[in-house]
Amino acid sequence: MIRNREFWLVVLSGLSLGVLGVLLSLWGNPENSGICVSCFIENSAGALGLHDNQRMQYLRPELIGFVLGSVVSALISRDFRSRGGSAPLSRLFLGIFMIFGCAVFIGCPIKLLLRLTAGDITAVAGVVGLVVGVWVGLKGLAHGVEFAPQSQSKASGGILIPGMFILLLVFFIVRPGFLLFSSQGGGAQYAPWQVALFVGIGLGALAQRSRFCITGSIRNFLLMGLRTPALWGLLTFIVAALMVNLITGKFNFGLYGQPGAHLEYIWSFLGMGLVGWISVLIGGCPFRQLIKAGEGDVDAGLVVIGMFIGGALSQSWGIAATASGVSMYGKITILAGFALITVLSMFCRVRST
Amino acid sequence: MFKDTFDKLCWLFLIVVLISTVVLIYTNIGTGSEKRAAGPSKTLERELSYRARVDLINQLYLPVENLRKEGNNQTALLKLDELIRKYPTEAHGHILQGDILQRMGAFDEAISSYVEGVKLNGDYVDTKSPLSRRAEIQKLVDGGLKDVGPRVAANPNNRSLVIARQKLNYLKSRLAGGCE
Repeated sequence: MIRNREFWLVVLSGLSLGVLGVLLSLWGNPENSGICVSCFIENSAGALGLHDNQRMQYLRPELIGFVLGSVVSALISRDFRSRGGSAPLSRLFLGIFMIFGCAVFIGCPIKLLLRLTAGDITAVAGVVGLVVGVWVGLKGLAHGVEFAPQSQSKASGGILIPGMFILLLVFFIVRPGFLLFSSQGGGAQYAPWQVALFVGIGLGALAQRSRFCITGSIRNFLLMGLRTPALWGLLTFIVAALMVNLITGKFNFGLYGQPGAHLEYIWSFLGMGLVGWISVLIGGCPFRQLIKAGEGDVDAGLVVIGMFIGGALSQSWGIAATASGVSMYGKITILAGFALITVLSMFCRVRST
Repeated sequence: MFKDTFDKLCWLFLIVVLISTVVLIYTNIGTGSEKRAAGPSKTLERELSYRARVDLINQLYLPVENLRKEGNNQTALLKLDELIRKYPTEAHGHILQGDILQRMGAFDEAISSYVEGVKLNGDYVDTKSPLSRRAEIQKLVDGGLKDVGPRVAANPNNRSLVIARQKLNYLKSRLAGGCE
């Protein structure tokens, strides 16, 4: 396996995500949130005026970088193909609920590992939830639960999401009056934008080449065991982030007083469980969806749109959890998410008769 | 994509639209019309209303501050009680209440008031905010955890002590930062 180019690409992706995920926090991003796709989406939705939490409004350059890095890499390697048509509306709704799951846990699967490697052991419930969610999703796949296959269309819709993110970059640089920026709270904490954009582009390009994804790595490990390169990427991520946290003094082992964390373990478990299950059905975690959208995958593009809607609603409707815990709306939303994915699984199941 | 007349017309129309957009932007830059159309910057507008709010809060709670400075803590607490009932979603009253109770030695009650305040408005634990009381809250948490921890260990069934520790941990978590 170690002579395989794919193996080293995945390891490099894991290493870069782990190291830069911690460093971005040191350079100004919120604690343990150097890279968090769901937080970035909530911040960016706020910056565009889609929600009114004044502490969560900043158009994150990393997010723009992920997509644009993927576009550039896909164009160079001739991977850019406009494709789609696989249960688009279902994916849109699953994108919304994927962010709800992240909002209840407080973080996407990448932040889950960043929290864990910073010593936040409240994240263990999320790790267990994510693995169980992926396992349940795999069981579904094994029993014929899958969306209709994608078809390759002529280059039409595939350019829309990259185009949208180029427009967001223009907005970020030009700063039109309608764009909102927090002056307090998590939205007011950010790394220098040039650094954030550059890191985002680099990670986006690497992830496009390696197909690295947190839930995809867990899925492949459950399917193939130690033979999958993705597992080594995941382990490299964890070791790299842990080392950088230890070296920079960011490691704070404990259960209490952790940044952006709560003690409602059941809901952390269920939130990440929902994210894991959805990720298997739609083919990747929130980060992977951004990368796929950059490759011209229209279905992933719809998930991205759904994630923006989810990011806005999780703040506007009080779904997002805080350090004080998970709101009733958050709990109901998670249960609604499980109901939705169960119904979708029943309807899209291919039954062998 | 450049085969028949329809394709050519589409390309022509696209070029016309793009040129028009560039011309429109170019001719309007610096004239102020784009600013008039969009209205004042929302960020600036919000900053102004935030400053106005801070001024209003300082004005509203000035009598309490004066009473506190005079050492008249009991009257200050009564006045605060009245203001908290009048403005139930305003955090400042709870923060001042926490400050006064802490000075009076009512440690557990002070923690509860600070928690109420921070839950209503996270600006009080931000370094950048003009409302920031971060240093005071940090001091309360550091001292509190040292004090409450051994007390909880000695009396594990004492519910009020356990709740006080939970509240201190909440404040510690908010002080630690994070994205929320």
